[in-house]
Amino acid sequence: MKDFHFQSISKRINLYGLMGILMLLMFWELSARWIWQDIQVLPSPIQCMDMAWQVLTAQELVIHIAASLSRILIGFTFAAVIGVSLGIAVGWYQYLGLAFKPILELLRPIPPLAWIPMAIVWFGLGEPSKWFVIFLGSFFPIFTNAWRGMVGIPPVILRAAQTMDAEGFELLLKVAIPAALPDIATGLRVAFGLAFGILVAAELIASDSGLGYMIMQSRETSRLGVAIFGILLIGFLSMLADDILARLMKKFVSRGRY
Amino acid sequence: MNNKIKSLLIPLIVLTVFLLSWELASFWGYLKPTRFPAPSKLLMSFLDLTFSGYPADVTIDQHLLKTIERIIIGFLLSVCLGVPLGLLIGGFQALDRLTSTIIAFCRSIATLSLLPLAIVWFGTGEQSKIFLIAYGCFWVMLSNVIEAVKQVDPLMMKAAKTMDTDGIELFLKVVLPSALPRIFSGMRISLGVGFMVIVGAEMIGTVIGLGSLIMEARTFYRTDITMVGMLILGLMGFLMTTGLAWVEKKLMPWQQQVHDRTSP
Repeated sequence: MKDFHFQSISKRINLYGLMGILMLLMFWELSARWIWQDIQVLPSPIQCMDMAWQVLTAQELVIHIAASLSRILIGFTFAAVIGVSLGIAVGWYQYLGLAFKPILELLRPIPPLAWIPMAIVWFGLGEPSKWFVIFLGSFFPIFTNAWRGMVGIPPVILRAAQTMDAEGFELLLKVAIPAALPDIATGLRVAFGLAFGILVAAELIASDSGLGYMIMQSRETSRLGVAIFGILLIGFLSMLADDILARLMKKFVSRGRY
Repeated sequence: MNNKIKSLLIPLIVLTVFLLSWELASFWGYLKPTRFPAPSKLLMSFLDLTFSGYPADVTIDQHLLKTIERIIIGFLLSVCLGVPLGLLIGGFQALDRLTSTIIAFCRSIATLSLLPLAIVWFGTGEQSKIFLIAYGCFWVMLSNVIEAVKQVDPLMMKAAKTMDTDGIELFLKVVLPSALPRIFSGMRISLGVGFMVIVGAEMIGTVIGLGSLIMEARTFYRTDITMVGMLILGLMGFLMTTGLAWVEKKLMPWQQQVHDRTSP
């Protein structure tokens, strides 16, 4: 089960997969051209690319992508640092766990997008509100998985280390955290995927750059092709990021444990 | 003090201290009421919302019911489409290989990025919201059903085949029952996704629904209403997921639950 989480998507891309995509694209192309025949409702893939090519300059596209990625990275980094350390602390010190639990359990089930209005109230319309929404969206999966990982460490491992005189901080750093690492890694990966999902909503808050903005903007100027291009681009970026993360984890995390 | 009392008492004390200091901090003016409305104010707003409603005359039960209705319809749509399709794809290896990349890609498309498409195709009414929820739920549902069918123990299939069970009978009597627990877990997870999407979906063209309530209240500086709405959303999500997990445990006690790692 654990290995499933580390499997990267690129492994699933094979000849069959490419054939499937090609068939889908052809189906879309033909149905757009013959059945809908309306570029305002369903542009075909070729029309989408064509429209994106005409409307977007390379520079613009790079700016949008950079703006979106930097938002994700900043929000995610905050979430990773705070979420992992808090999760470890709460999982390790029983009393801290008991103290934090009620407040976190109260906030945890609130959907990340519901924080958008509060983000605006607290941080205004600028960049920090977007970081905050992405932070919150990725914080809870990171935190919960780290916590779960710490609590789920087989007691045998800890006791074995204790018989070898490992104690306190050493026990935590050398035994407990490495044992919880696969769970922590899973949390990070899930959260990174979520961050992409939340990004678009975060960019609905008055922004003038980013892929989410680009998509909304293209609807308003009724260039649906560009919107579709943007949607697919976000999907592609999120898949790529997930793949890179999965590879990194496979390389660094599962080593020594399995 | 024994452990049970401790694990009850400590959270209680911490929560009380937290709420009390929040209340006092706003009472003495350290916290601005428009930014951090006090707990007592939240309670008042909740009563306000229950009896007189916000925006005018739309009471909390109407918001709640509308939101639940949207989630349920979108979710049911995704189940109706996802389960049969997933059973089909999971049952034929060639089909699974052809579609696996497409499904992986569609899952990684951010559901809310489809908002402009939803508006163009379905307008700003109910349909577009249901479309978004159904889309979000569908891919999660589909991939879980496929995985469920693929994980059916091949030994069991072989055993059934030696007993001359074939075709439809094999499917109905062996594959479906053993895939059922995972399918149910998939439903639980995808309902969670629908619950996340709804808030974004309700940002467009409506004033009824919890998602629109919190956005609308923010626009008019009613931060208290926003917070009440958020808490209700959280409570609703909590009840939904724990309720379903409970049902799952009762219905299929022999099966280890698939943990939901995607929703927080």
